[in-house]
Amino acid sequence: MPERRRAAGSWQKRGPPSGGRAAARGRSPAFEGKRRVAPKPGEPFLDWMVLPTVGVLAVVVGYPVVYALVLSGQHFNFLEPDPPRFVGAANYVQLLTDPIFWQALANTAIYTFGSVAVAALLGLALALLVDNYASPRMRVVRALLLTPWAVPFVVTAFLFRYMYLQNGGVINALLLDAGIIRAPIAWLNNAAIALPAVMVANVWAMTPFFFLLLSAALAGIPNEVLESARVDRARGWSMVWHVKLPFLRNGLLVGSLLVVINNFNDFGKIWATTQGGPGYATTTLVVYVYRLAFENFDFGYASAMGAVWFVLLMGFALAYLRTLQTR
Amino acid sequence: MKPARIVQAIALALALAWSLAPVYWMLATSFKSELEAAQLDPTWWPHAATLDNYRGLAGGTLPFVTFFANTVITCLATAVVAVVIALPAAYALSRARFRLRGSVAYGILVSRMLPLVVLLAPLYLLLLHAHLLDSILGLVVGFATFGLPFAVWMLKTFIDAVPIEIEESARVDGYPRWQILLRIVVPLIVPGLLTTGAFVFMEAWNNLIFPLSFITTLDKQTLAAALVVTFTGQFKTDWGGMMAAATLTTLPLMFAFFAVQRSMARGLTSGAIAGA
Repeated sequence: MPERRRAAGSWQKRGPPSGGRAAARGRSPAFEGKRRVAPKPGEPFLDWMVLPTVGVLAVVVGYPVVYALVLSGQHFNFLEPDPPRFVGAANYVQLLTDPIFWQALANTAIYTFGSVAVAALLGLALALLVDNYASPRMRVVRALLLTPWAVPFVVTAFLFRYMYLQNGGVINALLLDAGIIRAPIAWLNNAAIALPAVMVANVWAMTPFFFLLLSAALAGIPNEVLESARVDRARGWSMVWHVKLPFLRNGLLVGSLLVVINNFNDFGKIWATTQGGPGYATTTLVVYVYRLAFENFDFGYASAMGAVWFVLLMGFALAYLRTLQTR
Repeated sequence: MKPARIVQAIALALALAWSLAPVYWMLATSFKSELEAAQLDPTWWPHAATLDNYRGLAGGTLPFVTFFANTVITCLATAVVAVVIALPAAYALSRARFRLRGSVAYGILVSRMLPLVVLLAPLYLLLLHAHLLDSILGLVVGFATFGLPFAVWMLKTFIDAVPIEIEESARVDGYPRWQILLRIVVPLIVPGLLTTGAFVFMEAWNNLIFPLSFITTLDKQTLAAALVVTFTGQFKTDWGGMMAAATLTTLPLMFAFFAVQRSMARGLTSGAIAGA
């Protein structure tokens, strides 16, 4: 009896990355996607202990999602006195011909994938670098490298906004002093470089996540593996490339997918630096939907956009769940 | 020293500079006078260090202390509520066997990955009809949308790590499950409860879009949104005051972060985490 329960309790634990498939065969298949075990007779349908969570989520998430789908079929402007009326797919048609929507979609993709790729690489480099030192003093260095994570997004945004100032900003001052540029640059007011400039702030804030994640993964590499690699005279790059990286692949993948989802939702950093400007240069989907809903109060159209986005994001969520299962 | 070591040391120094320079700049600016902070040729450290910016926050025209209190109350309430509601669910998902377990676990995870903006308009209308708009309670409801699913998954990984044998004797003695959870499991996962709570707290502290959308009275605003709302007014050119406010906004988050930083790596590698 304890044996069976134990197995049930550990359905989420995983074997080492390389032995994933072998380990999967041996564990309870309850969480293996569609290949479900047939329910045992006498096994209850639901457990009352999950009811508070399920109930609350049904109200604050489930109901709003359904409501959003309903709203997306309506002409519903909060500022107009008329009651909302059903317009079918009109909002979705409007969306397809809305150039700002397409620009926002492109900006979201650039912002998300660009920042995540750079942050993942920087975090990886940092984790490998710090992993070379064994000194206990590194604990302090490690903590210091995590500092940006502990800075609120809005503060990060304002901080970079101040540092990016065209006149009196420290970044321009540094570049001018070093002779790299001759005239101060309007980082956030230039449509061509505003998005990359905000992405730098995003990378700054996000790198510690990858650093911590990958450091933990590095610490989890069994000593025997490292020892035998050393015996085989693996050094420097070959050690990193052939021995360590394979162990980091899963962490990197899962971490990236998670952060991609978080970045799709990132409102604070962009809103507090540029509010989506200049023009629509840094307007991502979140920013655009927020504007539609709370500046134009066009709840119907905003909900249609939210619904389209919901589908896009769910694609990524499913990819994430798949990765989680097949690890 | 070997050349490789020197290169590594330089890289490490650069990494530290990249991580810390912006924070240094925030602190340094917060001690500068309004004039010095707005100087065209910035000074590298405060030449005439002053506490005026901080004094201005305490006694200025903006209710900064109120913002601070609002934020602490909202975020603490969100963390406590999320952990308390999530605890039995996490326990059931970890220990109990029931037919819908997989579906419930997935459903909770998927709800965590929703785009927040799809909820924006309907949640606004929901709070409006429930008369919770423009209130701290309404904000807690909004924050629960991402805090609760996260708390369930994170707590579950901590409960998974508790050996089931420990619960066996209590089970044999006939204790009900909720008592086993409260008396045996909870004392063993206190670090997990704190880490989970701290994460939810941090995420709520970081959230801007909900307070900006759901709070209309300045006196009820949270720090993140207040900084944004007031920036166009009082702090337009007062970067010193702005950075003092930013510093005070950062301190509680930093405290929460470094308090749980060491048990965080474990939660991160457990896979289901969605922080950052």
